[in-house]
Formats: sequence, C-alpha cells, structure tokens
Amino acid sequence: MWIVTLKGLLGHKLRFMLTGLAVVLGVAFMAGTLVLTDTIQVIFDDLVASVNDGTDAFVRSNEVVDSAFGEERNRVSAALLPQVRAVQGVAQAEGDLQFYAQVVDAKGEAIGNPGRGAASFGFIWNPGRLNAYRLVAGNSPSAAGEVVIDRGTAKKGNLRVGSKVKVLSQSAPQDFKVAGIVTFGEADSPAGASVSLFTSEEAQRLSGALGQYDGISVSAVDGVSQEQMVRRIDAALSDPKVEVISGATLTKENQDEFTQQLSFFSTALLAFALISLFVGSFIIFNTFSIIVAQRTREIGLMRAIGASRSQIVKSVIAEAALVGILASAVGLGIGILLAAGLKALLAGLGIDIPAGATQVLPRTIIVCLGVGTFVTIAASVLPSRKASRVSPMQALRSTGSDPMKQLGRRSTIGVVITAVGVGSLLYGLFGNVENPTLFVGIGALVVFLGVAALGPVIARPVSRVLAAPLPKLKGMVGVLARENAVRNPRRTASTAAALMIGVALVGFITIFAASIKNSIATAVDSAFTADFVVAAKGGGPPVLSGFSPDLAQKIKEVPGVGASSGLRFAGAELQGKGVFIIASDPATSTELFDVQPESGDFKQLGIDDVAVSSDRMKKEGWVLGQRISAKFPKGASTLKITAVFGLGQQAGLSDYFISLAGYDAHYTQQLDSQVYAKVADDANPRVVGREIQKILKEYPTAELLDQEQFKATRSGQVDQILNLIYALLALAVVIALIGIANTLGLSIVERTNELGLLRAVGMTRRQLRSAIRWESVIIALLGTALGLVIAVFFGWALVTALRDQGLSGFVAPIDRLAVIVVLAGFAGVIAAILPARRAARLNVLDAISQE
Amino acid sequence: MNTVTKTSAARAVAASKIYGSGDAEVRALDSINVEFASGMFTAIMGPSGSGKSTLLHVLAGLDPVTSGEVFIGEIELSTLKDKELTLVRRDRLGFVFQSFNLIPTLNALENMTLPLSLGGRKVDPAWQDEVVKAVGLGDRLGHRPNELSGGQQQRVAVARALLSKPEIVFADEPTGNLDSRSSSEVLSFMRAAVDNFGQTIVMVTHDAGAAAYADRVVFLADGRIEAELMNPTSATVLDRMKQLGG
Ligand SMILES: Nc1ncnc2c1ncn2[C@@H]1O[C@H](COP(=O)(O)OP(=O)(O)OP(=O)(O)O)[C@@H](O)[C@H]1O
Ligand SMILES: [Mg+2]
Repeated sequence: MWIVTLKGLLGHKLRFMLTGLAVVLGVAFMAGTLVLTDTIQVIFDDLVASVNDGTDAFVRSNEVVDSAFGEERNRVSAALLPQVRAVQGVAQAEGDLQFYAQVVDAKGEAIGNPGRGAASFGFIWNPGRLNAYRLVAGNSPSAAGEVVIDRGTAKKGNLRVGSKVKVLSQSAPQDFKVAGIVTFGEADSPAGASVSLFTSEEAQRLSGALGQYDGISVSAVDGVSQEQMVRRIDAALSDPKVEVISGATLTKENQDEFTQQLSFFSTALLAFALISLFVGSFIIFNTFSIIVAQRTREIGLMRAIGASRSQIVKSVIAEAALVGILASAVGLGIGILLAAGLKALLAGLGIDIPAGATQVLPRTIIVCLGVGTFVTIAASVLPSRKASRVSPMQALRSTGSDPMKQLGRRSTIGVVITAVGVGSLLYGLFGNVENPTLFVGIGALVVFLGVAALGPVIARPVSRVLAAPLPKLKGMVGVLARENAVRNPRRTASTAAALMIGVALVGFITIFAASIKNSIATAVDSAFTADFVVAAKGGGPPVLSGFSPDLAQKIKEVPGVGASSGLRFAGAELQGKGVFIIASDPATSTELFDVQPESGDFKQLGIDDVAVSSDRMKKEGWVLGQRISAKFPKGASTLKITAVFGLGQQAGLSDYFISLAGYDAHYTQQLDSQVYAKVADDANPRVVGREIQKILKEYPTAELLDQEQFKATRSGQVDQILNLIYALLALAVVIALIGIANTLGLSIVERTNELGLLRAVGMTRRQLRSAIRWESVIIALLGTALGLVIAVFFGWALVTALRDQGLSGFVAPIDRLAVIVVLAGFAGVIAAILPARRAARLNVLDAISQE
Repeated sequence: MNTVTKTSAARAVAASKIYGSGDAEVRALDSINVEFASGMFTAIMGPSGSGKSTLLHVLAGLDPVTSGEVFIGEIELSTLKDKELTLVRRDRLGFVFQSFNLIPTLNALENMTLPLSLGGRKVDPAWQDEVVKAVGLGDRLGHRPNELSGGQQQRVAVARALLSKPEIVFADEPTGNLDSRSSSEVLSFMRAAVDNFGQTIVMVTHDAGAAAYADRVVFLADGRIEAELMNPTSATVLDRMKQLGG
C-alpha cells in the first residue's frame, strides 16, 4: 500500500504542491510568529537583565493598582535613601525615577514616538554599578539644565555634546544642554527607546516627584547575597507601605510583564495563523475528495484484488500525512525566514526591534510540524472514509458523477451544527460566562463548519441566482460557466467555504469597525460641546506620555478661550473592581462635554468626590451621597458620589469622572491626554484657533483638532487597526483563492474530453478562458455571499453584546461591503488565470481522444 | 453518376501527415489527394490504422498536415491561426464523433445550437424546426445527454452539425457505438440531410451497411487512396472490401 501512496504523490506533483501550499502558508505564518516573538522575548529578557545587572535589592512602595493601563505603583519618600545606605552590606544605593521625557530637536520635532513601540523615558543618572549606560561622549549630567541622551536619539535628532535641546515632560517644555551621549551596552539605545538622563534633583523636578523616588536600587558589597541584602534592608526599614525585593525578582517581574504584553501580540498573530490553517484545511479536504472521486476506478480495482477498507483509509491518510509533514517542514523553513520579514513589517509600523539572534526553539519546530500535519490528516479523514466505501464493482463502472444523495440528512446535520455554533456564540456573548472568548471562538468555528456542511445544499440554488445575469451577458459562455459551477455542488461548496471564512472575518471586522466609528461619531456629536481639542498626533497611549498641564494652562490663558480643561484617562479600583476613569476640571467640563448632569453638582467635584453615570448607579445600586471605596496608585481612599450624569460608557465616555485635583492627589504622574477648549461667545474661533496653534509650536507632539477633525482622527485610528487586521486576514483569503485555482485545475483535468469537444465545435480559446473565469467568479461570489451573511450575523451579535461598552448601534457599511464583493469577483478572475490558461492550451485532438 | 460538375467542399492536395520521427515515424497520410464534392454523402472506409480519422482531422482543421495542402471551400487551412481555424470549425464545419459528442451540462437543444450560440448567431427558427423534426427528438429537447439513449445522443450530435448549415459535416464512426436500429436512425437522418437540404457529409465507417447510405465510398490503406466506389450498396462494398483485403 505504501508504494501506491508514494506513486500517487509522485504522479501528481503539481496538485500536491498546490495543496501543500495551503498548509505551507499557514504553518509559515505560525512559525514566523513564534520565532519572532521568541526572538523579541530573548532580546528583551537580556535587556532587562542588563539594566538590572548591578541591582541586588530594590526598595519600593507596596501600594499598587493594576488597571487596564498596566501596573501603577506609588512612589517612596527620598528620606528612605539615607536609611537604606546605612544598612550594613550596602555598597551603593540610589533613588530611581522613570518618567515621561521626550527630546525635541533643533527643527522642533519630537524624537521617538511613544504612541507606537519604543517609548521616551526620563531617568535619574546614577553613578557606578547602578548605571546601565556607558558614556561615549561628554560627561554625566552634573547640574540643572543638563541632560544625557542615548546615541540613537542623538543620531535621529542630529545632536552632539553641547547641543541645545528642548525636553517635554510633565513640567513645562524646558531647554537643556546635552552634557553627554551614552550607549546601552553596544546598542545605541535600549530596544529603540529614547532615553534622557538627568541629575536626581532635575529628574524629581521634571516628574513632579520632589522628595520622592519610584524606588531605591541597592548594590551589595561582595559576599552579601541578594537574599541577605533584602532581609537586612527589610529589617532596617519600619515603613509598612514599603517592600524590598531582590534584583532577581525585579528582573523576573519586568520580564514577566513584558512576556504578558508580548503574548497578547503573539496570541493575536497565532489566531490569524490558525485561521489560515483552518481555511487551508478546506483546500486539503477538497483536493482529497476530488482525488478520491477521480480514482474511484483505481480504488475499486484495489478493492477487487483484495485491499481491505482499512487499507484504503490508511493509504489516503498516509498520503495526507506525507503531504502534511513535507508542507509543514517547508512552512517552518519559510516561517523562520519570514520572522525577519515580520520584523521589517513591525519596523515599518514604527515598532523598532533591536538586533538579536533569531530564536528557533524546539517548541516552535514541534508545534509547527505537529499542527500542520494534524490539520492535513484531519482534513483527509472524511475523504478517506469515502474512498473506503468504494465498492469493487465500481472498478467496472465508469466514473459517474457523484449523485447528490442524502441531501436531506445533510441539511439536517448542517442546520444542527450551525445552530449549535450560533448557540455557543450567543451564549458566550450574552450569557455572562467566565470565559466568553472561548465560547465565541468555538461558536464561530462551529458556525463555519455548519454552514460548510450546508454548503452543498445551498450551493446550487444560490449559485444559480448569482449567475442569473450571466447567460444574458455572455451568452453560451455564461450558460456553460453557470452549469459548470453548479454541476458538482459538493465541490463548489467546499471550495467556496474556504473563501467564505476569509470573507466572513473581513466582513465582520469591517462591520464591527464601522459600528465603532459610528459610535465614536455619535459620542462626539452628542457629548462634544467644545470647539477644539488638543490631542496627541497619531493618538498616543494614555500612559507614560501626554502633555504637561502647562499646555492646558497656556490654552486657558489664550484670549477668547471661554472654557478649557485638560483631560486624563486613568485606571483605578472602585469597590474592588478595576474601572476606567476620566479626570477633568469640573468647573468647566460641563461646558466642554455635555455629559447630561442629572443630579448632584458636577461642577463642585472635590478631591475625594466622584461623579457616576446613572446607568452605573442603577447597575451597582448606589445612591447619591454614598461613599465607595477606591484604590489609587497613591493609596486607598474613600470617594463620595456627589453627582450623577447621563452619558456614560454607553455613550463612549466613562462611567466615572473625578476632578483634576483628585487626580493630582491620587496619581503620581501628571500628564494630560487631551485638552479641550471652548471659544467665548464674543470671540472669533479662527483667531482663537490660530493663537492655540502658536502655543502648540512648543508642543510638537500635539495637534489641534476641531470637532470634525477629532472625529476623523479617531476614525482614522480605527481604520489603522482595521487595515492591520485586513493584512493579517489577507493570507487566509489568498489560501482560499489557491483553493479555487486548485479545484478549477482538478475539474479541468476531469473535463478534458468536454473541453476538447467544445473547442472542436468552435469555441475559441478566449471563450474557453472566459467560461472558466466566470465559473471561478461564481464560486468566489458564492463564498462571498455566504461569508457576508455570516459577517452580518457575527457583527450584529458582537455589537449587540457590547452595547453597554459604548457601542451605540450596529452599522453595516454598504459601500465597503460592496467593495468586498467586487474584490471577491476580481479575486475569482485572478484565481482562474492559471487553470484557464491551462485549459486553453489543451490540444483539441488529444483532449477529444483522451479516455 | 452525377453529370453536373459539383464544386468541391473540401479537398486535400498531396497531404501527408507524419507522426513521430526516425524509427518511430508513422506515415498516417501519405501524399493523399482527395476531393469531396458539395452536396454529396461520402463514406471513408479502410482497415484500422489506415488513416481515416487522421484524414478527417486534418480536413477539419483539428490537426495540421505535415506537408501538402488542405482546403475547405477555397480556404487553405495551413495558413490559418488557431483563432481563425476555430472560427472555420464553428461557422463552416460540423463534426460528429464516435462517442462523447455532447456537453453533459447542456440539454439537447442547447447542445444542438452550441456552435451557433458560441458564434453569437441566431438560429433560423424554421430551419431549427425542420432539423428537430427530422431528428425526431421534439419531446426530448429539454433533456440532458445522460437522459438520452446512445442513438438519441448521436442524432443530437448530427443535428448540431447540421443546424449551423455548415459547408461540410465530418462524422467519424458516428454509429460505431450503436446497435443496428439506432444506427439506421442516425444514418437515415444523415441521408435525408443530403437529399433534402443538399448537405455535404464525409463519414468514416467500418460498416458496409453504413457505407451503403453514401453516394460514394473512398477506400484508404496505409494513408493512401486505394479505391473508390460510386452509388454503393452493401453488397458492392463488401465485395470491394474483400478484393482489397485479399
Ligand atoms: N497522435 C498520434 N501519434 C502517433 N501516431 C498516431 C497518432 N494518431 C494516429 N497515429 C497513427 O496514425 C495511423 C493512422 O491512425 P488513424 O487514427 O487515422 O487510423 P484510423 O484509420 O482512424 O483507424 P481506426 O479504424 O482504428 O480508427 C495509425 O497507425 C496510428 O497509430
Ligand atoms: Mg479512427
């Protein structure tokens, strides 16, 4: 039997290359992701380890809030430093601060982009072993007004020792002299981050941490272990809000934190790789089904001469296993090369990854080979069982077309599977379950399988409808295209199903994005009563970057500005639950956004007051005036609900507002994410806008937007993510197209006779190509139609489920969905190019006389 | 015997077809000269491998000659490109093969009108009625080939060949797979086409009975014309076959 298997493979090299390609691409994607993330992980682990190299112990606050914005920890008093230094065995102890600081070059452009990838950080310059940097020019910062920058920043900004630079931080923008330039080991900068180092006093001033540090790094004398050091310091300090950890623990924590962020990224990429493989499995299923059908005679003969059913099954599975292993191995190889390409892609997105040895872990090899082979084998199980049901008698009969029997049973099975999928999906979305993603993911998968199972039943009628205009348009060619598309509904359906998945996901994400954009627009329209907003160019993340409150102050002072306020986004724990909070100036906020105050006095929000949306009040069962427990980076406190307002998270805002004064009191870093301004009634908005623009010259990371522009930039950000997802889904679509080409190619082999006859009675090559092209278009449109139906359902379900998360309503963007249909049609044309060319090249005589 | 000089619908002039080369060289047609007059039903006979199909194929522009010339009307086929050849086949020729003559996805009527609709031409309804009536499949026009008997399928194929009013119809053993009843259905139909519509037909056959339907029989052997017989009957054909075979 093995020989038959091998002969089968060698006899159809091209066919198996195409089939294998579906697996190769998916596995390559997966391998590329694993290799890339492993490589990044190792680079970063090394980085963290060398940053903390000289640190044996670290003293820090134990007050910490873990919010959506990451971990935010309280600072410690600088008074701890002499106490720590006095501990026996301490060789050196220094205060640390890490804060937002961004260098602006002579052209007035900010270096680095905290919005994407590597951040811009300010640090205290520490001497000795506690300094991870190496001076390559100039001196350490020794006075106020001096800064040391990394060589990467210096190169980007064309800066030298002695250059004047401006530094953006939470203080007003301020001029500094470059005192020195450092490298990070051999690298220009740590992981592409932009770094500026200051004296301790200067750093404290810039970060608003007068008399404070983030923590204290300790280097022990030789002979004192990290554990001993930790124990000794712990014993010497009496502050219950301070904890001591070892350097190793600190390194581990930093590494783990990064691993977590990275795993988010790698999980997302892996999900797309698996989608590609899932689509690929349809191609494999299809190829093996067609092969089994074409080999019915051969299989019947083998049965007649004594091959058992299980031998037939085994021979098909063995063939699949061989294809799977070979394709996975090739995919793995390509994936390793691809990792380099992905790195370049990320760099193109502004995420710089420093050089480092490519990591190919045994895990990567095992997972890639295993998953690729498994998918191939799993997809061939059904065709192999079908092969085993071929009776010896069928060796004698000619290969008749596959009659559509058992359609009734098939519809029932398809409907049941689809229903189970829909059920799981809806349960995940609306059922308040522990792990909604699991139910939603499996539900979506099962829906795809269910619709694919239903495919053969619906393929014929739907294709006929789709192809209805063809005979009018293309005459006989159109009739032939239509008839060929529906002559084998099983094949057409499973070919279309592969594309269906890609289109369903593309359509779904398009609908979801449109709904988000629509919600943003609605929220801005209903709540945004300011005339201007100053926001980060390209939309930065809300942590560790933003604008100095000085900007809001300057804007407030612009003549003609009526009301204005900085806006900060923050995470906190309220009543033990992690929440998203907006901080603003309560006195002016109601003029800048119409949050629809309902009761209490929004304008009088004090330091320990909170305004809560009426929706949230109802859900939590709170009443006005109630006190709720809160946990902030600066420690626990109690907040009093002093106002209730209408437009909360449901309208795209937040359910909680606190005052800027409250933010000051509860958070360490003081950066505005946005600044809102309303023009006074008697002022000219144009003039005011121009004045604000002048101020922004000092703030190169900021841009001034009016309501429409603000909406547009927010939509633009959604579009950016959307495009990224399109790019990631592209592979699944490409694989589906390979599937269409593959099916057409196999069908053409089957139809050689017929094609010869058509050519003999006068069909031109062009007409033949056209017929195959249109057949391909029909298959593509069938997949698209099914995909879009699923997309609308998925979109509707998710949008509805997220209604109270700020999604105002389901929007199906007809224009974009129409573009998908048109593109799918074109894709069908492209998929048909090779098969059509091959068919047109058939020698008429050979084709006719072929048995 | 026809006294009127008929124009030739197709002819081969010193046409040779050589397959392979060197030792494996096969001379399927050996400098053959033959002419097929308009309005005449010609049968081609000869032993297996004598080049009958090859002759039909080169005349129909399905296969190029190695040397010599082939004319359809006054058009010399070797000067034509694939596209032009295709159009000649579509618009001026009809073809009936031994088997697999019909497109399985099209019904009988669609199959009959296939060359016309490929050319974007309208069917002359009166002519269509006449052909359909002659072919005797009036109630089966909507059926697909797999719902038709072998004889019915071949009649549809002949109807297809006639419907475009081609200058000449080539048929390669059109009754080779049929029983005697179906054969005579098909052959009578072809005969009627020649008699009633002045159709030109060239048919390859192994069957003396079939050849008897023709006006003229051409005997091939080793790629050459061995003999000819006008107004044949089964008996004269068998007689001549015996002579040649002996
Ligand atoms: N494509 C080809 N390649 C090589 N030789 C060929 C090819 N086609 C035909 N021949 C050879 O040319 C010769 C004539 O073949 P042809 O098919 O014309 O015979 P025929 O008279 O139609 O025979 P039959 O009665 O069996 O159909 C034969 O010897 C055949 O083997
Ligand atoms: Mg022959």
